[in-house]
Amino acid sequence: MARVLIILLAYCLGMVQSSNAAETIIVVANTADKSIQLNRQQVRNLFMGGALPYDLDAVALPPENHTRVLFNTKVVGLTESRIQSYWAQMRFTGRKKAPVEIKNEELVVEYLMTNVGATGYLPAGVAIPEELTVLYSSK
Amino acid sequence: MKPTKTLALFLSLLLGSTPFCAAADEKDKLQFSGFTRLILGYLDDKNAEYVGYDNSISLDQQSLIGLQADYTFSEQLSFTGQFIGHSGEQRSSGLEWLYLTYTPTKEWRIKLGKQRIPFFNYSDSLDVGFAYPWLTLPQQFYDTAFFSTFEGILANYEYVADNWVLNFEGYWGIYDDKIYLASGEIDTQVTGLFGFNTSAAVNGWTFRAAYNQGNADLTLPGAAQFVEVLNQYGFSQSAETLNPDGLIRFYQVSANYENLDYFIRSEMATMVGESGPVPDIDSFYISAGYNFYPYTIYISYGERDVHYDHPANEIPYGISTELDVVAATYDSVLAGFPDDKTQGTKIGLRWDWRYNVAFKGEVTYVNADKVSNDFALKDLGNFDNSAVLYQLGVEWVF
Repeated sequence: MARVLIILLAYCLGMVQSSNAAETIIVVANTADKSIQLNRQQVRNLFMGGALPYDLDAVALPPENHTRVLFNTKVVGLTESRIQSYWAQMRFTGRKKAPVEIKNEELVVEYLMTNVGATGYLPAGVAIPEELTVLYSSK
Repeated sequence: MKPTKTLALFLSLLLGSTPFCAAADEKDKLQFSGFTRLILGYLDDKNAEYVGYDNSISLDQQSLIGLQADYTFSEQLSFTGQFIGHSGEQRSSGLEWLYLTYTPTKEWRIKLGKQRIPFFNYSDSLDVGFAYPWLTLPQQFYDTAFFSTFEGILANYEYVADNWVLNFEGYWGIYDDKIYLASGEIDTQVTGLFGFNTSAAVNGWTFRAAYNQGNADLTLPGAAQFVEVLNQYGFSQSAETLNPDGLIRFYQVSANYENLDYFIRSEMATMVGESGPVPDIDSFYISAGYNFYPYTIYISYGERDVHYDHPANEIPYGISTELDVVAATYDSVLAGFPDDKTQGTKIGLRWDWRYNVAFKGEVTYVNADKVSNDFALKDLGNFDNSAVLYQLGVEWVF
């Protein structure tokens, strides 16, 4: 009986760990400077159109994408509707342009590989090619 | 030459000298977008009007459509035109934005042409209802800037220091158009119009402060003739009181906070009119909202206090019939500039049905201490100084 409990406990812990990994967001860039590290506020600024001291261009996933929902919740700290209303204000007052939207995570990796300075967010489990640099992790 | 003409000439030269690119490139360079709002309103009081709504269901006071075209010449240079079609009588339809944007670096942005004046947080996006939570912006605050656009130059610089995003903006230009009051429209020219504002954002907080000023020249033919008469009689103080030309200054401060669950937004402003026919206005609002995606519920309270200088009449009565007429005319003209003091309290719900479509419902209780009929609230006779406005609306950006 004790064995069964231990196995069950180990299984549950494994579930929790893998679920945490799936919920973790990383921010990845195609940048020559591998030493760049951003904090949460800097990532938020970058994806809300702010000018960072690095030559980075944000790319985003579409509004219905689960990774985007996690990114909004854990990193930006705003609801999707607030983000959409913010970009509506920026667009129609000529202040800033929303990041380019890329259909899914696989295509984000492809886009990052071919565009210097491009910066996107991905779930932690995605395999990151060596050429790319992880600038931030939400864990 | 007017700035719009200069801009059109510059643009035609620029377009003429730019080699035509492949069709695919042209498609990427030219982009169309827009927004529309359909607003239904009903005021529960037959003796008043508020934001144009009366005691009948109306769809044509705040409904509008905006169409925008952006053409990108290069990474640094782009052109934008925005047309707004209004259903309400207090706003004219036409080109609201027509400007070139030069972006030499990520930090700098310079715009040349016809633009919205960035008096307050939402002054340049009044028509984009999708951009704010309320159905109607707090009227006690946003019904105070009489002219909304200018033709000139605007420069913006953004600086990021650690976790702070600092923004500095300045503009200079002219306004030559009509101003729309609830009681009518007045041809107005504002010269020496300039302003600057700065904002700082950190950890969900945003602070903003702004200063704007301009020399307003209001075309009030009746007032101008009477000012001449007063000067002829030597009543220069009274003539100065009725002189419609003078400096107007705007001061604004704002503090906002937002996170995933809730928001607080507040703005406070003072407008100082140096000439007699332009009032001083103190106004503020504070609003709080709770997000339970895809819904947002909010409450808001705002106040506006409009007050004119009321100098004592220096023209004596009882000297002669002629002077009595002048004195009585002066008093009656001054009576045409009544003070106005109102409060507005609202509660509302926003439902983001799709990422680009939102439905809103709002109830506003408006209460007045003094009604001048120059602003959003109008007394149609026997108004008991309080009314409730019910509104439903849909906002769409595309």
